[in-house]
Order: sequence, then structure tokens, then C-alpha cells
Amino acid sequence: MLRQLLRNAKERLRLFLSECGRRARVLRVSLRRQPDRIDPSSRFAPGFRYGYWEGEARGLELLKEWLSPEQFAQYDANSYFEVTGCHSGKRYRISHGTSMNIHELDGAGRPRVGWCFAPKGHLVAGDVMLAQKIALETDERGVLAVANKFFVQTGRRNTLLHH
Amino acid sequence: MATQIVMDRTGDTRHNFDAKNADALLKAEERFTELTGAGFTAAVRTTSGEAVVKRTFDPNAEETLFFPRLVGG
Repeated sequence: MLRQLLRNAKERLRLFLSECGRRARVLRVSLRRQPDRIDPSSRFAPGFRYGYWEGEARGLELLKEWLSPEQFAQYDANSYFEVTGCHSGKRYRISHGTSMNIHELDGAGRPRVGWCFAPKGHLVAGDVMLAQKIALETDERGVLAVANKFFVQTGRRNTLLHH
Repeated sequence: MATQIVMDRTGDTRHNFDAKNADALLKAEERFTELTGAGFTAAVRTTSGEAVVKRTFDPNAEETLFFPRLVGG
């Protein structure tokens, strides 16, 4: 059964890479034909924008400005930081990312359960993590009411628990 | 100079204004009302660095951050 799963995953990965290669070829050809038609503000490939990295960097700068010194040090060292929920006093770990990146910690600091919520729209990772931090620190109950809960990984697949 | 920072897909857009100028302050208040009306949350930082959510416009806030409505992922 494991072999079958691996075979399926391998096949999906192969298809994904082949699709990426195809899109890259199409993009290369179209850019070669129309080199002066690149609008810096426009999308020229699905899910990717010119200036994407600048936006990501700006988001991270903003996040770092708003983190406490302890959170900043934690994020700098581990790519995650911890916040305290304003209502329950529970600790949450926010890892670098835009989804499924929040873990509620138990008393020993181990991930107990995951929470998934984010600002509406397509925001960069720094912005998403900052909004998540402010929400947990100022309106924990409100934000968990709209969030989806998921089990943390314990060697098996993550499972979404619809709220 | 005060700033309103609005998160968006480019990272953020910053609106700087002179809080001592009545016209600029009015415009900033209108922007606050418009954004919060559209579901954005406004937050400011206290002197100790703690984030506080603002439901009404604070003319004394040096920096106000706006982020879109939060939804389950």
C-alpha cells in the first residue's frame, strides 16, 4: 500500500514538473517575441508577479517592526515566533507561511492542535503572519471562531477538522 | 508625520499625512472609515510595543496598520 502511495506521489510530481517546464517554455517564447510588453505591475505567469520578492521583503520588514524583541529573536533564529492568546492565555506558534502555520502549544511547548486562518485576499507571508499575531493577541476568541482546526502531524497525514 | 499602512498584495501601501493639518486629518479619518467599513481591522502600537485594535479613528496615532478581514483557511 505504501509503495502504491509512493508511486502515485511520484507520478503526480512528474506531471507537476512537466507542467512547470511546459509553462516555463511558453513564457520564455512569449517574452522573446514581445520583450517590450512586460508590464511590471501585471501578472505574467499564474501565481507569480514581477516584483514578488520586493513585496515579500516589504512584508517581512513590517512584521519585524511589529514583533516584540523576544518574538523578533525567535523568528530570526527559528522562522517562527510565539504569541499569547488574549483570552485564554494559551501559547500559539506562528511559523513562516501563509496557511496552516499556527500551532497551539501545550504546557510543555509541544504543538497540540493547528489553526488555520488568514486575511482575505492574496497577501505576502510577512503580512499574513502579522495579521495572525495581532488577531490572537487582541481578539483570540473572535478569530478562532472563524478559523479551521487541524491535527498536528504525528507521523500520519494532517487532517482538516472543519469548524 | 503620521502614517496609515494598508496591507495589500504588494506588501503594503503607506499614506503619510500631517496630523496637525485639519484637511489631511479629515482625509485620514475618511480613509479609516472607508477601510474599516470594508472589513479591515485597524491596529496601533502602544509605547510598550503592544498591538491595540482601534474601532474609531485616533487622531493622535502615529502609525495605524490596516489588514483585511480574517477568514478560515
